[in-house]
Amino acid sequence: MTNVRHLGGEMADWFDTEPAGGPAYGFLLEALRPLVPAGGRVLVAGPHEASVAGALRTYGEINWLVRSQPSLDETGVSVLCGTLAKLPDDEQYDLIVALDGVGRLCSVEGPQLDWAESVQVLSRSLKPGGALLLTVENELGVHRLVDSVTATAAHTDAGWNPIGEYDDSKPGTPDRLRDHFTAEGLTTGWLGTVWPLPSAPTLVIDEPRLKYGPAGALAAVAASVTAAAYATRPVLSDPRRLTASAIRGGIGVELAPAWLVLAFRGPSPAAVSLPAAVLHGGLLPPLPDGRLLEEMLIAACLRHDLPVLRRLLSKLVTVPTTADNVIVDGDRFIALNPSIVVEPPTAVQRFAETLIAGGYDHPWPHAESLTAVLQAAAGLTPDLSLTLPAPTPVREREEHIRRLEEQLADAATRIRYVENELVKRDAELRKARIQIDMFSGKVGYRISKFGMRAARAARRRLRNDS
Amino acid sequence: MHHANHFYGHAHVLAEYCGLDPDDPPRINGYLQHGWNVVDGLGAGTPYVSGRPIYVWSEQTRRRARSMGRRYATVVGAPFLYLLAFSEPAAETPREGTIYYPFHGWEGQHVAGDHQRLIDEILETEDGPVTFCLYWHEYQDLRTRRRYEQAGRVICHGYRGLRWQDTDTRFLHNQLAELRKHRRVASNRLSSAVLYGAAAGCEPAVYGNPMHLAGEVTTIAGRIRRQWPEFHAKFPDPAMATRSALNELGADVLASPSELRVTLGWPA
Repeated sequence: MTNVRHLGGEMADWFDTEPAGGPAYGFLLEALRPLVPAGGRVLVAGPHEASVAGALRTYGEINWLVRSQPSLDETGVSVLCGTLAKLPDDEQYDLIVALDGVGRLCSVEGPQLDWAESVQVLSRSLKPGGALLLTVENELGVHRLVDSVTATAAHTDAGWNPIGEYDDSKPGTPDRLRDHFTAEGLTTGWLGTVWPLPSAPTLVIDEPRLKYGPAGALAAVAASVTAAAYATRPVLSDPRRLTASAIRGGIGVELAPAWLVLAFRGPSPAAVSLPAAVLHGGLLPPLPDGRLLEEMLIAACLRHDLPVLRRLLSKLVTVPTTADNVIVDGDRFIALNPSIVVEPPTAVQRFAETLIAGGYDHPWPHAESLTAVLQAAAGLTPDLSLTLPAPTPVREREEHIRRLEEQLADAATRIRYVENELVKRDAELRKARIQIDMFSGKVGYRISKFGMRAARAARRRLRNDS
Repeated sequence: MHHANHFYGHAHVLAEYCGLDPDDPPRINGYLQHGWNVVDGLGAGTPYVSGRPIYVWSEQTRRRARSMGRRYATVVGAPFLYLLAFSEPAAETPREGTIYYPFHGWEGQHVAGDHQRLIDEILETEDGPVTFCLYWHEYQDLRTRRRYEQAGRVICHGYRGLRWQDTDTRFLHNQLAELRKHRRVASNRLSSAVLYGAAAGCEPAVYGNPMHLAGEVTTIAGRIRRQWPEFHAKFPDPAMATRSALNELGADVLASPSELRVTLGWPA
């Protein structure tokens, strides 16, 4: 039976969608067990998947703060139902987990606390030495930059205060976040970057690893999880490009969709160490230090470097996977995820799709089937029957439309040219026919034909003279 | 597409390289660069149809063409190099003398300059026998031809053709065979022939009165000398000049037969 305590300000008939959770968060929570002493208390704040509370249940007494009556019947969990401002200030916890951030802790009733005020409430609820694991959504994260709608538009019923980046109390960088915590009396013990979506990440990389780890491979992994998360979401522009180029360019921390921070009330205990990188539900395996094959191919296309492009394409068809899954380390071509297996012609087609969808320049701008040219350049038999899908991101679609407009204008010009040619050819044909008639026709015909032409010429001369 | 694609039998050579019938090359889906130039790869006055690809010889020409608004410039390399790729290897006979290409204009252009002074300078420079290769309209002009015949052997590789008519489809084959007989190739202007000669193993040189066309703007000539000084001497460093020639012809970008077929819009 679920034990529900109503705090006040709770919402009736309300349900928060997309709760925070997922295997990556689950794996990280396992490392927090030493922070909860025997008989200790844990607060889960905000909408989370049931598995989050479930995983923590063995650590100690679980209290779960939600702003509406939970639909799930969680055994062994005390539900605190109400708005954040009503959280009793005489109850303190060894561990507070807020993986959904603090944005969905206040209900429509009562004061609408801003980010700093919300954190203050949580911080106040920590026992001395207690730990807070908090997700802080980055208002300038990749997920926001590619979003086709702004966070400040009230698109759903949950948007009663869609304040977005206008919450001035919310820090915009990890450094400011740490400073804020220090001012709040908290010590930041660990800070990780969260990809590709704040609430359900599949990749968490801590700050030092993202800054000093193998940038090419990390960018590739981040781009790959981004691709999976965005497979069906409408976007403004390709999030994989932004993700990968941010990490490669050294601003991955600044553009991460969210930061996950572990802070302590008081000094940081030595007993806890969180993993440097988590992928899905486990540690990110060691990565080779190199560049992603797809990026090298794109760079060769943009430089119009045919020899390099052909060499890389012919290598691509020797590894049975897609170009965005291959790290190139010197002469070694290593599949990041060996379970992704595709036939060589398909791998080349995928790359052609990437070029078209991304609006990238390449050496065969006129090609009717880019896939076929690339396959031929890779040493495969070209398949002219393959067609490419139209791109979906708005910016790339704009590029697509621009190209179509150009092609349309070109087609009109070409038709004019061809019609001119046709007129010239017709004239040549007429002349040739007359010559054929002259040489193949009977004598009488030839004489009459000559006679007619002579008569016509004479008439013309007469007219001109008169 | 354009009749210039058949000049010098270029389309025919590419068809043969691609394993297609060299006597009946399929229509090329664009304009093939038919001679070395310092503009967009197209000949002067070619009626370009926007949106059609120009198949150029080198990446540098592609960049230049793109800057001139040719959006679909595509690098394929010079047909002459494709001919080199599939033709029989050169015979073992020793090379001798120099093949000299006096600069020619095309039919409508008139060269202003003194052929005799050029001939004297050539004979003064070259120590072996000189073969003069004349462009077809100079070859047919008996006065000019006689003048060169007094100084050495005079040949003509053939007629490049016009509007698909009378094309000598063996033009490049003839040229390759002649080049391979000679130790040096020279001209009074940097041109396709000098580059072809270098690619075919001759030591290239550009010297002698450049014989400007009547009314020709000479700034381009100056630009060519500044950009390609490695050719402009009586005896330039052959290694350097050859490297440069291969660059201009696109030796590093030649496509496989299969890639070339798809690129030109030919049946795969």
